[in-house]
Amino acid sequence: MKKMIFYKEWIKTRWYMLAAAAVLISGTAYILLGLGKAAQFKGNAFLWGYVIAHDSVLIEQLRYLPFILGGLLAVVQMLPELAGKRLKLTLHIPYPQWKTILLMCLYGIAALSVLFSVQAVAVSIALNRWIAAELVCRIMKTAAVWYLAGFVSYIWSASVCLEPSWKMRTLLLVLLAGMAHLLFISPVPEAYNGFLPWLALYSAAGLCMVFHGIARFKEGVQD
Amino acid sequence: METVIKCEHLTHYYGKRKIYEDLNFEVSKGAVIGLLGKNGTGKTTTINILMGYLKPKSGRCTIFGEDVQNIKPETRARIALLLEGHVQHSYMSIEQIERFYSAFYLKWNKKAYYDLMDKLKVAPGQKISRMSNGQRSQVALGLILAQNADLLVLDDFSLGLDPGYRRLFCEYLRDYARNEGKTVFLTSHIIQDLEKIIDECIIMDYGRILVQEKTATLIARYPGMTLEDIFIELTGKY
Repeated sequence: MKKMIFYKEWIKTRWYMLAAAAVLISGTAYILLGLGKAAQFKGNAFLWGYVIAHDSVLIEQLRYLPFILGGLLAVVQMLPELAGKRLKLTLHIPYPQWKTILLMCLYGIAALSVLFSVQAVAVSIALNRWIAAELVCRIMKTAAVWYLAGFVSYIWSASVCLEPSWKMRTLLLVLLAGMAHLLFISPVPEAYNGFLPWLALYSAAGLCMVFHGIARFKEGVQD
Repeated sequence: METVIKCEHLTHYYGKRKIYEDLNFEVSKGAVIGLLGKNGTGKTTTINILMGYLKPKSGRCTIFGEDVQNIKPETRARIALLLEGHVQHSYMSIEQIERFYSAFYLKWNKKAYYDLMDKLKVAPGQKISRMSNGQRSQVALGLILAQNADLLVLDDFSLGLDPGYRRLFCEYLRDYARNEGKTVFLTSHIIQDLEKIIDECIIMDYGRILVQEKTATLIARYPGMTLEDIFIELTGKY
């Protein structure tokens, strides 16, 4: 049964997942090719110098990508459930309702994890060819918050989509926007290191809002 | 006779607008009951309450003895639900949706589904969203038949169907319910479709039940009139 819930989510999102993978691969490849060229023509020392002198993480252009991809995945996955109130059919299948919703969200989290992991591994391998491992570690720690932003965006956007009333949806959107602002407020590398566990907790709190939305849907709450 | 659906003292309001007050009815095992009423009298509201998607202001409903707000998954397997407009997971194909649902129902009858699909002359890979309303209604009906449920709850099954598909749907449903001894609770705003299917009818008006009795008894009380005529007589013209 679990497999079939994942199967349904896969059918809904497969084209989006392919498109997201294509965007992520092409965006990452574009940045890495640029860095590769710089390393080839100006030498690795230039990249080192650039990282240190400009407090750069070299892959800044990729920072918003996980956030955008996470939010869009939630929309692509959850909106069909709302269209024609299909969520009633989903909740009517003979399987515990909370497990169904949890598995739907876990599918999204797993799908994003795959995308983000592949990108993180590719970036790490490429950067390791040009700069010291300590610098790569610094860059990846900085990027960790961007990936976390992707999960925050996914879970909170899912809660927005599954919430039945516009008033509450607006409130959730404000919370999501506030969180997005917080996650991208500092461009300084490793600025969020101390906050990462809290941000992860906040991201998980979004799941409670997903279930809250489902409970309200079942009560028949509407505007 | 075993009671399948029981609603007691059901009262519901949307804001200050009263839908109904102190509504009571029961559906016995094997009965085919039609909930009839003009638009806005609370037919879909009643289905939503019954399926646990709306909490009534007061009152209680049970299906197979369980409170509708907390129906166990095993009990949900005994209830086939058709949403208004034959809504289904239309991003799936005929084959995919059968594969999806079959995993959840122990008594799944694949043949019943594919027999009906064969009549549509569509490819198994055909996406539901690319089908006509009539074809989609048959997919929804096929899924309901395949579930082999004890209770069928159908919300406005005739919505969006042309006379041909309405007739096909009604005939299939009538034969299935009679042959298999299923309990059916349905709503429709096209009364003429129901006359041949339902054994008993509940006619609702704004805020109350006007009539609840056997269809044959009701028709016998109004000689020369069809169920539709009786409905108009009781509820008044639009």
